[in-house]
Amino acid sequence: MADRPVLEVHDLHVTFRTENGLVPAVDGIDFAVAPGRTLAIVGESGSGKSVSSAAVMGLLPANADVKGEVLLDGRELVGLPADELRAIRGNDIALVFQDALSALNPYYTVGWQVAEAYRLHHSVSKKEARRRAVELLDLVGIPGAARRAGNYPHEFSGGMRQRVVIAMALVNNPKVLIADEPTTALDVTVQAQIMRLLADVQAEFGTALVLISHDLGVVAETADDVLVMYAGRAAERGTVRDLFHRAAHPYSLGLLGAVPRVDVPPRPRLATIPGTPPSPGSITTGCPFQPRCAYAERVGERCVTERPELTPRPGEGDHEAACHLGRRPADA
Amino acid sequence: MPDLAWFVVRRLAAAILVMLALSLAVYLIFYALPADPAHLACGKPCTPDRLEQARHFMQLDQSTLQQYLNFLKGVFAGRTFGEGTAAVHCNAPCFGYSFPLARPVTTLIIERLPVTASIALGAAVLWLLIGVSLGVVAALNRGRLLDRLAVGFALVGVASPSFLVGLLAILVFGFWLNMVPVNGYVPFTESPVDWAWHLITPWLVLALIQAAAYIRLTRAQMLEELSLDHITTARAKGAGESRVVLRHGLRGALVPIVTLFGLDLGGLLGGAILTEKVFSMQGLGELLLSAVGQLDVAVVVGTTLFSAFLIILANLLVDIVHGALDPRVSHG
Amino acid sequence: MPDELLRLDGVRKYFGVRGAPWREGKAVRAVDGVDFVVRKGETVGLVGESGSGKSTLARVATRLLDPTAGTVAIGGADVTKVRGRKLRPVRRKIQLVFQDPQASLNPRQSVGTILTTPFRAQGVRPTRAQLVDLLRQVGLSGEHLERYPHEFSGGQRQRIGIARALSVQPELLICDEPVSALDVSVQAQVLNLLADLRDELGLSYVLVAHDLAVVRQVASRVAVMYLGTIVEEGPAAEVYSAPAHPYTKALLSAVPVPEPGAERDRIVLSGDVPTPIDPPSGCPFRTRCYKAEDVCATKRPVLEPVEGSTEHRAACYFPETPTL
Repeated sequence: MADRPVLEVHDLHVTFRTENGLVPAVDGIDFAVAPGRTLAIVGESGSGKSVSSAAVMGLLPANADVKGEVLLDGRELVGLPADELRAIRGNDIALVFQDALSALNPYYTVGWQVAEAYRLHHSVSKKEARRRAVELLDLVGIPGAARRAGNYPHEFSGGMRQRVVIAMALVNNPKVLIADEPTTALDVTVQAQIMRLLADVQAEFGTALVLISHDLGVVAETADDVLVMYAGRAAERGTVRDLFHRAAHPYSLGLLGAVPRVDVPPRPRLATIPGTPPSPGSITTGCPFQPRCAYAERVGERCVTERPELTPRPGEGDHEAACHLGRRPADA
Repeated sequence: MPDLAWFVVRRLAAAILVMLALSLAVYLIFYALPADPAHLACGKPCTPDRLEQARHFMQLDQSTLQQYLNFLKGVFAGRTFGEGTAAVHCNAPCFGYSFPLARPVTTLIIERLPVTASIALGAAVLWLLIGVSLGVVAALNRGRLLDRLAVGFALVGVASPSFLVGLLAILVFGFWLNMVPVNGYVPFTESPVDWAWHLITPWLVLALIQAAAYIRLTRAQMLEELSLDHITTARAKGAGESRVVLRHGLRGALVPIVTLFGLDLGGLLGGAILTEKVFSMQGLGELLLSAVGQLDVAVVVGTTLFSAFLIILANLLVDIVHGALDPRVSHG
Repeated sequence: MPDELLRLDGVRKYFGVRGAPWREGKAVRAVDGVDFVVRKGETVGLVGESGSGKSTLARVATRLLDPTAGTVAIGGADVTKVRGRKLRPVRRKIQLVFQDPQASLNPRQSVGTILTTPFRAQGVRPTRAQLVDLLRQVGLSGEHLERYPHEFSGGQRQRIGIARALSVQPELLICDEPVSALDVSVQAQVLNLLADLRDELGLSYVLVAHDLAVVRQVASRVAVMYLGTIVEEGPAAEVYSAPAHPYTKALLSAVPVPEPGAERDRIVLSGDVPTPIDPPSGCPFRTRCYKAEDVCATKRPVLEPVEGSTEHRAACYFPETPTL
């Protein structure tokens, strides 16, 4: 717990220059994750959660402007020369994508692709890299790894492909692993296998995990800390228990009420959040959630004119919410 | 591998059927023409008697179907025209006998093929190099000056008729600048340097025109490939841009390029008619052209079938190579 | 039975696999012997992982695919062999709602045109008032008639898809993953809409879904598919609280719940679903089952009532017994 964070992000802004002008996708985000810990970034489409992770990796397209600080072990990554950043990518920070089929190159064997990731950061022979690749494929639970290393991605099932992607991400023993919806494309029984694998890896290597997900079930089971994003902004931040037991932002509360549950008898109706998530950049003043918020009327003008900042919840440690409603919504 | 063998067998069987249908069609078309080849052969004065004699000797007095069957028989067993000392033998595989040139068509094709092959292969290497590299450069500089230049060059190439470019090249480089020989062909076996020196202008002219299609195709394919998720994976692994572009991007773009290349080359090997004419080279195209002028039906049929065979063969090879290039393709 | 809207008997659907002539012709057994009944007023959840055959079954049920074997009866009439124009009255009773509203709506047609098409197929010309009513039923309004699909959000597009299905006043809607492409907050809106329509119009549903929580929220009955067969079915409350088939039990235990630190006995299945080209002998689940014994490889178990219940059935030699 006392570990210093290995990855710190301060006041991250990402703006896309498009034909229709500047579109802000991420508008001032802070987060940090310590070795062995898991931070979940939760949000719906357009919330900026995936853009944030791409910004950390320096993988955004050329029309994206990134401002703010991304510190890896205290070293600033924003504005780093391309070759220095390249030495860090895949070595100190690695990425696990949502869709393993499209994330893997169809023209090369999985063994080659894992070995490539190793050779990019280690000057070793092809044979040595191959040996390391097989070792990793074995580690992530691919049966007959030595033989399967010679197969192409399309010859694997969805779950096995995601294991390959994880092996590729782990081959250089990174300090930080960013997993962007790593199980969304998978069946639940396979999802359980993959989440267990990630937990095992974390326990063994002390990897810090940034889990980007819209699945509150997965988040509740894996995360230590949670950041809830809405329209490019942080809505709420705290421990996983803060969010699930003491949700302080009306949006978080709405999300929790909207999720059907498999473990308890159904409610007569699911709680809903009216309307749809805003498109990036469409809300410029006030609280981005205000048009859909059930509590906005109670607060009044402030929600429309003044943008709420993350504020600590009294007596709840590091739990913060960006809401003008002082009380917890449930008590309001 | 048995899958591949079965695939080749199936395709070859289909190819034979296509060749048969094609040869019949070519026969029927040329015998529907009002001109009589025997008329040219009978000399002057052409009495009805001598004409009849010539017809009989050339076996033109038989029914069209019988002539076609004779032709087929000649392919497998050879054939003989006339009797006794005046007899003309055409050994198997006999693709007809040219009375005006007094040579079997097979021999003519074998004589002319090295010329056409020299033109086609040299030009092909050039246009592939020019087309693919300019296409890659255009894709990487999408929307910028280099892209516009490459696309403009492609447009000019597509719009230019080869005889015009060829004549211009002869005028400028041959006569005005006196840099290169303007016509003639020197066999490679005689002098490789002279061979290349005589061919350099036709190569460049053909390459300039053909490269256009390759620039456009490569550019489009690269733009598509570079937008795929596995390219982001390669960057996330820490691969440098040149590796991302060449090993990961171009690798995928290669499949359709190779397909087009195979078909173009197959077509060109059957005779580069205009280029051969402009540069006065005695290739297959020139053979066909003069045969049409002299109503030398045997040569027309033979060279047409040979071209068709090359194209079918190219198709087959392209499909096999396709399977080798793309592991997802199965020949089952 | 008059209240049977849909009845499938012994339905099989095999897809051919091309191969060399000296090889034995192999088929993908997408659906491999399924009996399935939907009665009036029911919402039946059809759950299973990818490759279980649930979507293929839905397409056979709507006669979009011909079954390889078995019969399809709609409203008590055998329609297995009905084709072409004669299918129209069948299509009136049973409509399909697709997963991806983006792909299933023609982008060049206005909402009005999209909604008119099913009427036309029945030889009817709808009035504007009828179309506006349809949109109101799904929570949209008349002003949306002139707009095009791209002007709507994902949730609204799915509402349009539902309105289109409702236009011919069907009795049964077969919804194939209706909410899996939607955000959580929007998904809840659509699920509530389906429940409202059921209450207002007396609709019945077959809900094809991989998300077991979604199915629990709306289904009155549930059928669990594995490798082209139904391995368990029964009232949703019973199946979810006391699953009898080891596969159902493992499946339910694998679903993460939004409750940090929840105590759960998770059964993590090893391996992948076997290929439907060459399914295991006997019980299709035996290769991954924690209870499998020799007998499981011999003969495929049939659906039999679970102890203490009449409606709840499982196809297993060693079913779990209710612990309560």
